[in-house]
Amino acid sequence: MNKNKNISGFKTPENYFEDFDALLFSKIDEVNLPKSAGFKIPENYFGNLDKKVFKSVKNSEKPTKVISLFPKKYFGYAASIAACLIIGFAVFNSTRENENLDALQMAAIENYIEEGNLNLDFYDVTTFINDEDIANLDLGKQRFSEASLKNYLLENMDENTLIDE
Amino acid sequence: MVEEKELVTALQTEAAKESAFRELVSQYKERLYWQIRNMVLDHDDADDVLQNTFIKIFRNINSFKGESKLHTWMYRIAANESITFLNKKAKRNNISIDNVKDNAVRKLESDVYFEGDQIQLQFQKAIATLPERQRLIFTMKYFEDHTFEKLSEILETSVGGLKSSYHIAVKKITEFIKTQDETL
Repeated sequence: MNKNKNISGFKTPENYFEDFDALLFSKIDEVNLPKSAGFKIPENYFGNLDKKVFKSVKNSEKPTKVISLFPKKYFGYAASIAACLIIGFAVFNSTRENENLDALQMAAIENYIEEGNLNLDFYDVTTFINDEDIANLDLGKQRFSEASLKNYLLENMDENTLIDE
Repeated sequence: MVEEKELVTALQTEAAKESAFRELVSQYKERLYWQIRNMVLDHDDADDVLQNTFIKIFRNINSFKGESKLHTWMYRIAANESITFLNKKAKRNNISIDNVKDNAVRKLESDVYFEGDQIQLQFQKAIATLPERQRLIFTMKYFEDHTFEKLSEILETSVGGLKSSYHIAVKKITEFIKTQDETL
Protein backbone atom coordinates (compact mmCIF):
# COMPACT_ATOMS: atom_id res chain seq x y z
CA MET A 1 0.00 0.00 0.00
CA ASN A 2 1.24 3.51 -0.89
CA LYS A 3 2.24 5.06 2.44
CA ASN A 4 2.01 8.51 0.92
CA LYS A 5 -1.72 8.12 0.01
CA ASN A 6 -3.79 10.92 1.46
CA ILE A 7 -6.36 9.86 3.95
CA SER A 8 -9.66 11.67 3.66
CA GLY A 9 -10.90 10.75 7.09
CA PHE A 10 -14.21 9.44 5.75
CA LYS A 11 -15.76 6.30 7.11
CA THR A 12 -18.36 3.90 5.69
CA PRO A 13 -21.28 2.24 7.47
CA GLU A 14 -20.71 -1.25 8.86
CA ASN A 15 -20.70 -3.98 6.15
CA TYR A 16 -21.22 -1.37 3.44
CA PHE A 17 -19.11 -3.06 0.81
CA GLU A 18 -20.27 -6.56 1.80
CA ASP A 19 -23.88 -5.59 1.24
CA PHE A 20 -23.27 -3.33 -1.74
CA ASP A 21 -23.67 -5.90 -4.52
CA ALA A 22 -26.91 -7.30 -3.18
CA LEU A 23 -28.42 -3.87 -2.76
CA LEU A 24 -27.30 -2.71 -6.16
CA PHE A 25 -28.91 -5.65 -7.93
CA SER A 26 -32.06 -5.16 -5.88
CA LYS A 27 -32.21 -1.58 -7.08
CA ILE A 28 -31.69 -2.67 -10.69
CA ASP A 29 -34.51 -5.23 -10.35
CA GLU A 30 -36.77 -2.70 -8.66
CA VAL A 31 -36.60 -0.44 -11.72
CA ASN A 32 -38.81 -2.95 -13.52
CA LEU A 33 -41.35 -3.24 -10.72
CA PRO A 34 -44.52 -1.08 -10.52
CA LYS A 35 -44.12 2.00 -8.36
CA SER A 36 -47.58 1.81 -6.80
CA ALA A 37 -49.57 -1.04 -5.25
CA GLY A 38 -52.72 0.01 -7.11
CA PHE A 39 -54.92 0.37 -4.06
CA LYS A 40 -57.81 2.85 -3.76
CA ILE A 41 -59.81 3.99 -0.76
CA PRO A 42 -63.47 5.01 -0.37
CA GLU A 43 -64.19 8.69 -0.79
CA ASN A 44 -63.52 10.73 2.33
CA TYR A 45 -62.35 7.60 4.19
CA PHE A 46 -59.64 9.40 6.16
CA GLY A 47 -61.96 12.33 6.85
CA ASN A 48 -64.45 10.07 8.63
CA LEU A 49 -61.87 7.79 10.20
CA ASP A 50 -61.23 9.77 13.37
CA LYS A 51 -64.86 9.54 14.52
CA LYS A 52 -64.92 5.82 13.75
CA VAL A 53 -61.72 5.17 15.69
CA PHE A 54 -62.91 7.09 18.78
CA LYS A 55 -66.18 5.17 18.74
CA SER A 56 -64.27 1.87 18.59
CA VAL A 57 -62.00 2.94 21.43
CA LYS A 58 -64.96 4.00 23.59
CA ASN A 59 -66.79 0.74 22.87
CA SER A 60 -63.72 -1.26 23.77
CA GLU A 61 -63.65 0.46 27.16
CA LYS A 62 -67.28 -0.36 28.07
CA PRO A 63 -67.49 -3.36 30.36
CA THR A 64 -69.44 -6.08 28.61
CA LYS A 65 -72.70 -6.92 30.32
CA VAL A 66 -72.56 -10.44 31.59
CA ILE A 67 -75.90 -12.18 31.34
CA SER A 68 -75.96 -15.22 33.52
CA LEU A 69 -77.23 -18.27 31.69
CA PHE A 70 -78.63 -19.54 34.93
CA PRO A 71 -80.19 -16.77 37.10
CA LYS A 72 -79.95 -17.39 40.81
CA LYS A 73 -83.71 -17.17 41.42
CA TYR A 74 -84.28 -20.24 39.27
CA PHE A 75 -81.64 -22.19 41.08
CA GLY A 76 -84.05 -23.20 43.88
CA TYR A 77 -86.62 -24.50 41.38
CA ALA A 78 -84.00 -26.41 39.47
CA ALA A 79 -82.65 -27.96 42.69
CA SER A 80 -86.15 -29.10 43.71
CA ILE A 81 -86.86 -30.60 40.32
CA ALA A 82 -83.53 -32.38 40.33
CA ALA A 83 -84.19 -33.78 43.83
CA CYS A 84 -87.63 -35.04 42.77
CA LEU A 85 -86.18 -36.68 39.73
CA ILE A 86 -83.48 -38.40 41.76
CA ILE A 87 -85.96 -39.66 44.38
CA GLY A 88 -88.41 -40.81 41.72
CA PHE A 89 -85.68 -42.61 39.86
CA ALA A 90 -84.57 -44.38 43.03
CA VAL A 91 -88.14 -45.49 43.90
CA PHE A 92 -88.89 -46.58 40.36
CA ASN A 93 -85.72 -48.57 40.25
CA SER A 94 -86.43 -50.33 43.57
CA THR A 95 -89.97 -51.34 42.38
CA ARG A 96 -88.54 -52.68 39.20
CA GLU A 97 -85.98 -54.49 41.24
CA ASN A 98 -88.73 -56.25 43.22
CA GLU A 99 -90.50 -57.19 40.02
CA ASN A 100 -87.27 -58.42 38.58
CA LEU A 101 -86.65 -60.39 41.74
CA ASP A 102 -90.07 -62.02 41.58
CA ALA A 103 -89.58 -62.95 37.94
CA LEU A 104 -86.15 -64.29 38.76
CA GLN A 105 -87.45 -66.36 41.60
CA MET A 106 -90.26 -67.82 39.50
CA ALA A 107 -87.89 -68.72 36.68
CA ALA A 108 -85.52 -70.39 39.15
CA ILE A 109 -88.36 -72.39 40.66
CA GLU A 110 -89.64 -73.54 37.28
CA ASN A 111 -86.17 -74.65 36.29
CA TYR A 112 -85.80 -76.51 39.53
CA ILE A 113 -88.99 -78.41 38.93
CA GLU A 114 -88.26 -79.19 35.28
CA GLU A 115 -84.89 -80.61 36.20
CA GLY A 116 -86.67 -83.06 38.46
CA ASN A 117 -85.28 -81.68 41.64
CA LEU A 118 -88.69 -81.34 43.26
CA ASN A 119 -89.48 -84.79 44.69
CA LEU A 120 -93.07 -84.22 45.39
CA ASP A 121 -95.47 -87.16 45.38
CA PHE A 122 -98.76 -86.67 43.61
CA TYR A 123 -100.48 -87.14 46.93
CA ASP A 124 -98.20 -84.54 48.53
CA VAL A 125 -99.40 -82.06 45.92
CA THR A 126 -103.02 -82.87 46.56
CA THR A 127 -102.56 -82.04 50.21
CA PHE A 128 -102.16 -78.45 49.10
CA ILE A 129 -105.40 -78.56 47.19
CA ASN A 130 -108.60 -78.27 49.18
CA ASP A 131 -112.12 -79.29 48.24
CA GLU A 132 -112.92 -75.82 47.02
CA ASP A 133 -110.03 -75.90 44.60
CA ILE A 134 -111.23 -79.26 43.28
CA ALA A 135 -114.71 -77.91 42.82
CA ASN A 136 -113.32 -74.95 40.94
CA LEU A 137 -111.49 -77.13 38.56
CA ASP A 138 -113.30 -76.73 35.30
CA LEU A 139 -112.56 -80.05 33.76
CA GLY A 140 -115.56 -79.82 31.46
CA LYS A 141 -114.00 -77.13 29.38
CA GLN A 142 -110.95 -79.13 28.69
CA ARG A 143 -111.47 -81.03 25.54
CA PHE A 144 -109.38 -84.05 24.90
CA SER A 145 -109.58 -85.67 21.57
CA GLU A 146 -110.52 -89.32 21.43
CA ALA A 147 -107.20 -90.11 19.84
CA SER A 148 -105.33 -88.42 22.72
CA LEU A 149 -107.35 -90.37 25.27
CA LYS A 150 -106.74 -93.69 23.58
CA ASN A 151 -103.00 -92.98 23.37
CA TYR A 152 -102.87 -92.04 27.01
CA LEU A 153 -104.65 -95.19 28.08
CA LEU A 154 -102.50 -97.44 25.94
CA GLU A 155 -99.33 -95.87 27.27
CA ASN A 156 -100.29 -95.51 30.90
CA MET A 157 -102.53 -98.39 31.77
CA ASP A 158 -101.47 -102.06 32.21
CA GLU A 159 -103.55 -105.19 31.73
CA ASN A 160 -103.57 -106.06 35.39
CA THR A 161 -105.13 -102.73 36.28
CA LEU A 162 -107.77 -103.21 33.65
CA ILE A 163 -108.50 -106.75 34.90
CA ASP A 164 -108.69 -105.54 38.57
CA GLU A 165 -111.02 -102.75 37.66
CA MET B 1 -47.46 19.09 14.34
CA VAL B 2 -47.05 18.30 18.01
CA GLU B 3 -43.62 17.05 19.00
CA GLU B 4 -43.58 13.36 19.84
CA LYS B 5 -42.30 13.78 23.39
CA GLU B 6 -45.05 16.26 24.22
CA LEU B 7 -47.61 13.95 22.66
CA VAL B 8 -46.46 11.02 24.81
CA THR B 9 -46.63 13.15 27.97
CA ALA B 10 -50.15 14.27 27.12
CA LEU B 11 -51.24 10.73 26.23
CA GLN B 12 -50.07 9.51 29.61
CA THR B 13 -51.92 12.27 31.46
CA GLU B 14 -55.54 11.42 32.21
CA ALA B 15 -56.84 14.95 31.67
CA ALA B 16 -55.14 15.42 28.32
CA LYS B 17 -55.31 11.82 27.04
CA GLU B 18 -58.36 12.16 24.82
CA SER B 19 -57.32 15.31 22.97
CA ALA B 20 -53.76 13.98 22.61
CA PHE B 21 -55.15 10.75 21.19
CA ARG B 22 -57.17 12.72 18.64
CA GLU B 23 -53.97 14.43 17.58
CA LEU B 24 -52.18 11.08 17.36
CA VAL B 25 -54.90 9.57 15.15
CA SER B 26 -54.89 12.62 12.92
CA GLN B 27 -51.09 12.48 12.48
CA TYR B 28 -50.63 8.75 11.92
CA LYS B 29 -53.84 7.30 10.49
CA GLU B 30 -52.74 7.44 6.84
CA ARG B 31 -49.26 6.05 7.37
CA LEU B 32 -50.53 3.20 9.50
CA TYR B 33 -53.42 2.51 7.12
CA TRP B 34 -51.17 2.05 4.10
CA GLN B 35 -48.73 -0.11 6.01
CA ILE B 36 -51.61 -2.38 7.00
CA ARG B 37 -53.31 -2.30 3.61
CA ASN B 38 -50.14 -3.47 1.88
CA MET B 39 -50.26 -6.55 4.09
CA VAL B 40 -53.96 -7.43 4.16
CA LEU B 41 -54.86 -6.06 0.66
CA ASP B 42 -58.59 -5.62 1.27
CA HIS B 43 -59.80 -2.15 2.34
CA ASP B 44 -62.39 -3.39 4.86
CA ASP B 45 -59.84 -5.71 6.46
CA ALA B 46 -57.33 -2.86 6.61
CA ASP B 47 -59.98 -0.67 8.24
CA ASP B 48 -60.60 -3.33 10.92
CA VAL B 49 -56.91 -3.85 11.61
CA LEU B 50 -56.28 -0.10 11.75
CA GLN B 51 -58.98 0.34 14.38
CA ASN B 52 -57.64 -2.59 16.37
CA THR B 53 -54.20 -0.99 16.16
CA PHE B 54 -55.42 2.32 17.55
CA ILE B 55 -57.38 0.58 20.29
CA LYS B 56 -54.24 -1.27 21.30
CA ILE B 57 -52.24 1.95 21.25
CA PHE B 58 -54.82 3.73 23.41
CA ARG B 59 -55.03 0.86 25.91
CA ASN B 60 -51.28 0.38 26.25
CA ILE B 61 -49.98 3.94 26.02
CA ASN B 62 -49.39 4.07 29.78
CA SER B 63 -46.97 1.16 29.52
CA PHE B 64 -44.98 2.87 26.72
CA LYS B 65 -41.61 3.50 28.34
CA GLY B 66 -40.02 5.60 25.59
CA GLU B 67 -37.33 3.00 24.86
CA SER B 68 -38.15 3.50 21.19
CA LYS B 69 -39.79 6.39 19.37
CA LEU B 70 -43.59 6.56 19.62
CA HIS B 71 -44.09 6.14 15.88
CA THR B 72 -41.70 3.13 15.87
CA TRP B 73 -43.80 1.54 18.58
CA MET B 74 -47.01 2.22 16.65
CA TYR B 75 -45.66 0.81 13.39
CA ARG B 76 -44.64 -2.32 15.28
CA ILE B 77 -48.14 -2.71 16.72
CA ALA B 78 -49.63 -2.24 13.25
CA ALA B 79 -47.27 -4.86 11.78
CA ASN B 80 -48.12 -7.38 14.51
CA GLU B 81 -51.85 -6.71 14.22
CA SER B 82 -51.68 -7.28 10.45
CA ILE B 83 -49.98 -10.66 10.81
CA THR B 84 -52.28 -11.65 13.70
CA PHE B 85 -55.29 -10.76 11.55
CA LEU B 86 -54.12 -12.97 8.70
CA ASN B 87 -53.35 -15.87 11.04
CA LYS B 88 -56.78 -15.57 12.68
CA LYS B 89 -58.49 -15.50 9.29
CA ALA B 90 -56.67 -18.67 8.30
CA LYS B 91 -57.65 -20.41 11.54
CA ARG B 92 -61.29 -19.24 11.35
CA ASN B 93 -61.66 -20.60 7.83
CA ASN B 94 -59.58 -23.69 8.57
CA ILE B 95 -57.18 -22.94 5.72
CA SER B 96 -53.48 -22.13 5.49
CA ILE B 97 -52.23 -18.57 5.55
CA ASP B 98 -51.01 -19.09 1.97
CA ASN B 99 -54.60 -19.79 0.96
CA VAL B 100 -55.73 -16.64 2.77
CA LYS B 101 -53.24 -14.59 0.75
CA ASP B 102 -54.14 -16.35 -2.53
CA ASN B 103 -57.83 -15.66 -1.93
CA ALA B 104 -57.11 -12.02 -1.11
CA VAL B 105 -55.10 -11.55 -4.31
CA ARG B 106 -57.72 -13.32 -6.41
CA LYS B 107 -60.36 -10.96 -5.03
CA LEU B 108 -58.32 -7.94 -6.15
CA GLU B 109 -59.32 -8.54 -9.77
CA SER B 110 -62.89 -7.62 -8.96
CA ASP B 111 -62.18 -5.28 -6.04
CA VAL B 112 -63.60 -1.76 -6.54
CA TYR B 113 -60.80 -0.43 -4.38
CA PHE B 114 -58.07 -1.81 -6.62
CA GLU B 115 -57.28 0.28 -9.68
CA GLY B 116 -54.06 -1.48 -10.66
CA ASP B 117 -53.41 -2.84 -14.13
CA GLN B 118 -52.34 -6.37 -15.03
CA ILE B 119 -48.72 -5.67 -14.12
CA GLN B 120 -49.69 -4.39 -10.70
CA LEU B 121 -51.91 -7.43 -10.22
CA GLN B 122 -48.98 -9.71 -11.09
CA PHE B 123 -46.88 -7.68 -8.70
CA GLN B 124 -49.36 -8.31 -5.87
CA LYS B 125 -49.47 -12.02 -6.74
CA ALA B 126 -45.70 -12.13 -6.55
CA ILE B 127 -45.60 -10.33 -3.19
CA ALA B 128 -48.21 -12.77 -1.87
CA THR B 129 -45.82 -15.67 -2.47
CA LEU B 130 -43.36 -14.29 0.10
CA PRO B 131 -43.32 -15.61 3.70
CA GLU B 132 -45.07 -13.21 6.08
CA ARG B 133 -42.04 -11.65 7.69
CA GLN B 134 -40.32 -11.15 4.35
CA ARG B 135 -43.51 -9.71 2.88
CA LEU B 136 -43.67 -7.24 5.75
CA ILE B 137 -40.06 -6.19 5.25
CA PHE B 138 -40.54 -5.81 1.51
CA THR B 139 -43.78 -3.81 1.66
CA MET B 140 -42.52 -1.51 4.41
CA LYS B 141 -39.29 -0.82 2.55
CA TYR B 142 -40.66 -0.65 -0.97
CA PHE B 143 -44.00 1.10 -0.50
CA GLU B 144 -43.48 3.01 2.74
CA ASP B 145 -39.88 3.87 1.90
CA HIS B 146 -38.53 3.32 5.41
CA THR B 147 -34.77 3.24 5.72
CA PHE B 148 -33.26 -0.04 6.83
CA GLU B 149 -32.23 1.64 10.06
CA LYS B 150 -35.81 2.71 10.76
CA LEU B 151 -37.05 -0.78 9.82
CA SER B 152 -34.46 -2.25 12.17
CA GLU B 153 -35.98 -0.25 15.04
CA ILE B 154 -39.55 -1.12 14.10
CA LEU B 155 -39.06 -4.81 13.50
CA GLU B 156 -36.26 -5.30 16.04
CA THR B 157 -34.10 -7.05 13.46
CA SER B 158 -30.53 -6.25 12.43
CA VAL B 159 -29.96 -3.97 9.45
CA GLY B 160 -27.89 -6.69 7.75
CA GLY B 161 -30.67 -9.23 8.19
CA LEU B 162 -33.21 -6.81 6.77
CA LYS B 163 -31.07 -5.98 3.75
CA SER B 164 -30.56 -9.66 3.03
CA SER B 165 -34.26 -10.43 3.39
CA TYR B 166 -35.20 -7.48 1.19
CA HIS B 167 -32.77 -8.48 -1.52
CA ILE B 168 -34.09 -12.06 -1.56
CA ALA B 169 -37.66 -10.75 -1.70
CA VAL B 170 -36.92 -8.54 -4.71
CA LYS B 171 -35.24 -11.46 -6.47
CA LYS B 172 -38.21 -13.78 -5.82
CA ILE B 173 -40.70 -11.20 -7.03
CA THR B 174 -38.71 -10.50 -10.20
CA GLU B 175 -38.40 -14.22 -10.93
CA PHE B 176 -42.12 -14.76 -10.36
CA ILE B 177 -43.12 -11.98 -12.74
CA LYS B 178 -40.63 -13.17 -15.34
CA THR B 179 -42.00 -16.74 -15.11
CA GLN B 180 -45.57 -15.48 -15.43
CA ASP B 181 -44.64 -13.40 -18.50
CA GLU B 182 -42.94 -16.41 -20.10
CA THR B 183 -46.00 -18.57 -19.43
CA LEU B 184 -48.22 -16.00 -21.11
